[in-house]
Amino acid sequence: MDRVLDAKPGTKVLLLGNEAIARGALEAGVGIATTYPGTPASEIGDALARVAKDAGIYFEYSTNEMVATEMAIGAAASGVRALVSMKHVGVNVAADALMTFAYTGTRGGFVLVTADDPSCHSSQNEQDNRYYALLGGIPLLEPSSPQECYEMTKEAFELSERLELPVILRTTTRISHVRGPVVVGRIVQGLKKKEFIKDPKRFVTVPAVARARHLVLLERLREAERLSEESHLNKVRRIGTGARIGVITSSAAFNYVADAAKTLGVSVDVLKLGFPHPLPNRLVIDFLKNHDRVAVVEELEPILETSVRAVAQHESIGTKIVGKADGILPRAYEFDQAIVASGLARAFGLRGDEAKEAVIDLQSLPVRPPVLCAGCPHSAAYFAVNKATNRKAIFASDIGCYTLGVAPPYNTADLLVCMGSSVGTAGGLAKVNEQPVIAFIGDSTFFHAGIPGLINGVHNGHKFLLMILDNRTTAMTGHQPHPASDTGPSCCDVTPVSIEEVVKGCGVRWLRVVDPYDIKTTTETVKEALRQEGVSVIIARRECALIAKRDEKGAILKKHEIDQEDCKKCRTCVDKFQCPAISSMDKVQTIDEALCAGCGVCAQVCPHKAIKETR
Amino acid sequence: MMVDIYLVGVGGQGIITASRVIGDAAILGGENVLLSETHGMAQRGGAVVCTARIGDVQSPLIPDGGADLILSFELLETLRSLCKANSGTAVITSTERIVPLSVSTQKLKYPTAEEVELKVERIAKRFLSIDARKLAEESAVPMSSNIVMVGALAGTGITGLERRHFEKAIEMNLPHWVHENLDAFAKGFEATSRWNRA
Repeated sequence: MDRVLDAKPGTKVLLLGNEAIARGALEAGVGIATTYPGTPASEIGDALARVAKDAGIYFEYSTNEMVATEMAIGAAASGVRALVSMKHVGVNVAADALMTFAYTGTRGGFVLVTADDPSCHSSQNEQDNRYYALLGGIPLLEPSSPQECYEMTKEAFELSERLELPVILRTTTRISHVRGPVVVGRIVQGLKKKEFIKDPKRFVTVPAVARARHLVLLERLREAERLSEESHLNKVRRIGTGARIGVITSSAAFNYVADAAKTLGVSVDVLKLGFPHPLPNRLVIDFLKNHDRVAVVEELEPILETSVRAVAQHESIGTKIVGKADGILPRAYEFDQAIVASGLARAFGLRGDEAKEAVIDLQSLPVRPPVLCAGCPHSAAYFAVNKATNRKAIFASDIGCYTLGVAPPYNTADLLVCMGSSVGTAGGLAKVNEQPVIAFIGDSTFFHAGIPGLINGVHNGHKFLLMILDNRTTAMTGHQPHPASDTGPSCCDVTPVSIEEVVKGCGVRWLRVVDPYDIKTTTETVKEALRQEGVSVIIARRECALIAKRDEKGAILKKHEIDQEDCKKCRTCVDKFQCPAISSMDKVQTIDEALCAGCGVCAQVCPHKAIKETR
Repeated sequence: MMVDIYLVGVGGQGIITASRVIGDAAILGGENVLLSETHGMAQRGGAVVCTARIGDVQSPLIPDGGADLILSFELLETLRSLCKANSGTAVITSTERIVPLSVSTQKLKYPTAEEVELKVERIAKRFLSIDARKLAEESAVPMSSNIVMVGALAGTGITGLERRHFEKAIEMNLPHWVHENLDAFAKGFEATSRWNRA
């Protein structure tokens, strides 16, 4: 039984915020759903991929967020309800399509979910994607619980069709990755097919059309503001027994406010905005007028705060407004109950609960940062590259598991900004440096955004080595398929696209495919590649160790152990080849049999042949 | 009633699954519950933190010093979790040790079991360590040490939930190995029901 698909109407089920969004979409009669995986959004797509066939919807893992958005736009412009989900930085990729789609507007409901990541738990920045709603003139909904994820997804489709505008549903890590009870309703079979009715004066944004459509968008936004004023998603909740002090908040911050107010024992009125853009001006004015002091509590950027201050200035309301501008709440990182409690205490002149009993020096504990897994083929590839270059190369890295090569002992990442950037930045690095330049990219990331950079490098005659670290999956986000995969979501057959053929088609003359577990060959191939002119490409191909293990394909590999008599304690295995299965304590190196994936790379790395196969 | 449970350990130990079992048990017991999960970028080897808040709560995170129960799946992570403890916190730790690469490569020191015990007891009055891995191996599924830990949690009675709710939640979440996991659960349950009587 799949709880997203099979939960009976009226029952209460424990769902992840992301699963609740998937369920909400199914109940809204979504016809098509697309995504490019990215934490913390991935489980929306994973849930839909699993149930697509039984639910009778079309689902795909698209090549990147831009294509995912364009797919959804094509369907929604025809009149079919479409959901597209991605992590916050994914919207940067999709933004080109999204900004103009707000001009053409939609026929079928179009909902874009952006899962933001305050504190960068698994991201390269903590951008606040509410700005995209402001930038594009796109209505914004912000749930604060799994139940609201579910409800607001349905609301978002309704709103989108009513306004004929795309709608952004914005979550954060602590909304996407929270599990809580959700009372579900009935799944609805929506339209799956709809004939596209031509209307080039609306859907073809040549300048003359765009100029006209901008006015339409502004008109729709006025209507959206009216709906926001009336929406039950924006409401005042009273905590305690009525108060002259108030809080304006949204999203996860609302939850911290609710719990913190209880902890502080303070009565406070909370204006919770589930539909914060366009801002319900009237509601905000009334709230300000009814309170002497109002704190705006929101994670990351002071977007609500700035808007609320502007409203107060415009209406000449003298209510004291406090927030990030007063330094009571921080502008970086995720909130928690304690941060919000101390902020509220300062905002309202209360005494916060400062008592803390913990007396342990966390700094002194050995850290446990994420590392490449035991048997990870990337570890082997990085070991070989370091051997081949004697570490005298510049490494342009990319987004994926292999970014973890940045840490010692590999140190194989010198520059990294975003998906696909390794290939583009490698060209720039090579132009101005004398050292060899090696770009690393994963298989999924290569398809996502690496190909244009490769074409650019070939065409303009840049000299660098591109290593495509092909582990046959999108491993970092939970093993989603990508264009080279031969299996896809439950609904649909897929056709694998060959990385080799793409590379050759881009005009690359020198291409080799190696097995990274074969350290000697990989090392020699890297050396040879660095002697080539122009762009050379090595595809280092070996299935992700976690998948191999799960499928028990790993059974063909042999587990290894360290023969303590032959071991010379040289520490090469721990200092130069970092495998989590090999640990070193009290000067003795050992292999944890439970963790060992049997790749045998350590046996090649050991200069004293002390690492041996076990039976 | 409100119970804040802080689950910690290392990626791959089944901590998220354990938290889901607790969450489902709470719903079966008619309680409100919120779970959150913070895992590093790696699927294995990074520290994993889950919170389970049972009762009338809105926010999923547990503030420093706010845990009623710390359920730690790994000895070093027990120490790292102590910022969430106060004098009333109950701490249950597995004695399993997963040596981080910072110990192997930077030659940092992994604390001894005695050091962990001393530090925990300085803060929390109720403390128990159990060999969850050994108990799991006895139940025929070595991977079920996470369910041994859930059993230990259930055995304390701290959640106010009934044993049958946990058992039903195990059936829901681990349908392929129900019998073995129920056995693992029982072993953990026994370990702490003795503790409570003492």
